[in-house]
Amino acid sequence: MCRTGLPGRTGRRAGRADVPGVSENPQSACGRARRANAARWTSVLSMSSAVAPPPSPERSRSCTIRTERLTKRYGETLALDRLDLEVYEGEVYGYLGPNGAGKTTTIRLLLGLHRPSAGRAELFGLDAWADPVNAHRRVAYVAGEPFLWPALTSAETFEFLGRVHGGVDRAYRDVLVERFQLDTRKKIRALSKGNRQKVQLIAALATRAELLLLDEPTSGLDPLMEMAFRECVQEAKQRGQTILLSSHILSEVEAVCDRVGILRKGRLVDEGTLEQLRHLGAHTVEVTFAGPAPTLPPLPGVHAQSAGPNALRFEVLEDIGPLVAALAQAGGETIKTLTSREPSLEEIFLHHYDGSDGHVGA
Amino acid sequence: MSAPRAGGILATLVGRALRDARTRTLAFAYLFALYAYIQPVGFRHAYPKLTDRLAFVHSFAGNDAVRFFYGYPYDASTVGGYSAWRVGGTLAILAAVFGVLGAVRALRTEEDTGRAEIVLAGAIARRTVFVAAIGAVGAGVALLWLGETVGFIAGSLPVGESAYLALATATVAAVFAGVGALACQLAPARRIALELGNAVVAVSLLARVVADTSSGLGWLRWLTPLGWAEELRPFAGPQPLVLVLPVLATALVLGMVSASISSAGISKSIRREIARLGTGSIATPTGYVSFVFIFFVLAVSLFACAQIGAARQQEADEQLETLLALPVGRVRWLGGRLLLALCAAAALSLVAGAFTWAGASAQGVSMSLPRLLEAGANCLPTTVLFLGLAALAYALVPRASAGIAYGLVSVAFLWQLVGALLGVPKLLLELTPFAHVGLVPTQAFRGDDAAVMLAIGLVAACAGLAAFRRRDLLGT
Repeated sequence: MCRTGLPGRTGRRAGRADVPGVSENPQSACGRARRANAARWTSVLSMSSAVAPPPSPERSRSCTIRTERLTKRYGETLALDRLDLEVYEGEVYGYLGPNGAGKTTTIRLLLGLHRPSAGRAELFGLDAWADPVNAHRRVAYVAGEPFLWPALTSAETFEFLGRVHGGVDRAYRDVLVERFQLDTRKKIRALSKGNRQKVQLIAALATRAELLLLDEPTSGLDPLMEMAFRECVQEAKQRGQTILLSSHILSEVEAVCDRVGILRKGRLVDEGTLEQLRHLGAHTVEVTFAGPAPTLPPLPGVHAQSAGPNALRFEVLEDIGPLVAALAQAGGETIKTLTSREPSLEEIFLHHYDGSDGHVGA
Repeated sequence: MSAPRAGGILATLVGRALRDARTRTLAFAYLFALYAYIQPVGFRHAYPKLTDRLAFVHSFAGNDAVRFFYGYPYDASTVGGYSAWRVGGTLAILAAVFGVLGAVRALRTEEDTGRAEIVLAGAIARRTVFVAAIGAVGAGVALLWLGETVGFIAGSLPVGESAYLALATATVAAVFAGVGALACQLAPARRIALELGNAVVAVSLLARVVADTSSGLGWLRWLTPLGWAEELRPFAGPQPLVLVLPVLATALVLGMVSASISSAGISKSIRREIARLGTGSIATPTGYVSFVFIFFVLAVSLFACAQIGAARQQEADEQLETLLALPVGRVRWLGGRLLLALCAAAALSLVAGAFTWAGASAQGVSMSLPRLLEAGANCLPTTVLFLGLAALAYALVPRASAGIAYGLVSVAFLWQLVGALLGVPKLLLELTPFAHVGLVPTQAFRGDDAAVMLAIGLVAACAGLAAFRRRDLLGT
């Protein structure tokens, strides 16, 4: 069955067409997007189970990032394909995707460093390409590759970047330097990649900018520093800062993000809160038996496979009830253990990248 | 009775000196090209992977004995950085020797063997001979630069950076040509002049070695032309502003030598001959300075190219991405860079004028300071023109911009030099901007031509700013 992808997009368009008469709020674009999202989820969910549309916590917030059919071509390569992305104020948005999916391209378009081939991107309602400077006053950016000025020390780099950006919280910066255990007297060229990454991170976090665009910010950091980073993200979130976190470290995204978007070949193939994504993914049910595993009749939406001599594993797409009934009928008294768990983000993620045809199916 | 006649004599003398030095010059140029080619190719072959390169940096490159030979490795983990390091240590020393040897051979050997007398008896000013000799050495240095650049390009290094790296080596040859010329004036015989010049090379090398191998003495690098070549840092965070030092040093030394030549006196009979023939201004201090300033015009224009090369480097290293993600507009950034380049070029030009005046005054030759400052300012119209064109190239074809900029200046200058020597029609000759530069202080400042060049430069710069606003930032 199709979970998102085409039906989702169809539903979205339908949702947009269905509500022309509804009065528009001041953030009309956002309002439209939210309704479209809700419609999308409704249509998606109605295919799998009759769950009501999830309550939208963003209802009272405005869009910090909004893209509309954002497209970027580099020669023959289509790097980003009609991306519609909304990130709301105060939200931590996990932007997932394998290498080359278009994550960095998105961020460069959001910063106005590259020009969209079609569509548009907005930060705080300002056009990212036409008016970058005003947007950047409220943005801090951590680049994927920590290229800085090799001849400057970390302290000089902070001073320089801070002066250009304006409005740096020096006290917080000192706290961050302490937390990330950075020797600020060393020149950038003498630092390892991880330490350069820390310099970028500290410089960005210390601006206390309203929006943080982080492009794989923890690449090169050791696990201890990774924890320090998560702490910083939580702090930023508590202060109401918005964060776009591009990453392929799933545990990191799982730990800090409110909402997740999965990008593949330049298209957003899945999006939602972790709960929503999990709900849409297959449950895994593992059953071990006292004796040999019984043979079950085929059930719709259930994929069974052997998991050892006396065990079975089921991938259940819909309700678990029919499976339990079938198990009881086939010999419920021989069941030793039964475990059921939701899919991890990793499984959802891998699920999206298994197929090679770009079509999302369960 | 007219200037072309003097130009003709000069051209003949330059041609003569070049032919005398052709074996040596070609051998050096070939060696430079080969050595330049081997560095990137060998490094890629020996250290194909980044891990190998990092291991190399941590072990071999940090070794003091290695630094003794090759100098300070600013960044030996990249192909370009490694090549710059190897070349900075070895070719720079060879370039220094080439400069001294070239100048002494051209200036003193002729004199010592008596051939100079034959030339001078032909009713030519001593200064003309000197200028021709220096011109020939300059052409030789240009050939070394070309050879080294071609070598790097053949080794698959980018064009602009290759030209800049070779320029770092060539500056050493230029400064030491000045040192050789000075040694010729001081020493009673050719051999002693050569020894004196080489002694300066040795002291410079010693200073560089101490600076590179002892912690805390890095500042010594600033005292030696070999150190300046290192501080230009090709492929490792280039600092093109350092070019100011070799340019000024060459200006100062050649200014002093020129003054001392005129005070050494030219026999009255020869002076009469010159006056009768009207060999033109080249035989006077003013004329000589005019001639030297042609090369300053070139140098300051090249300086503009180096500035655009540095801007491109900043973009390729993705520092620009970090900068433009801050509240900095693109027009403000590039406009600021252009303005900075212009101010630095203006300061460089005026200081070159002032230093030439100081050098001449120190030798008791009185020249008008305002006039020499004007000669300095005369470097600026072509600089603005090439800076504007380079900015436009940077906005439209960033990856090729430095190559285009250096290429434009080199071709334009060679066009004038070769065109003048071959006597091509005026119409063709005037295609190059350098043909429109008045030879201040001998000739008047050519305001109309300057205005046209400034206008073209400004229009190109504005077009470049507008085009840069419209394109994607491009990494390497």
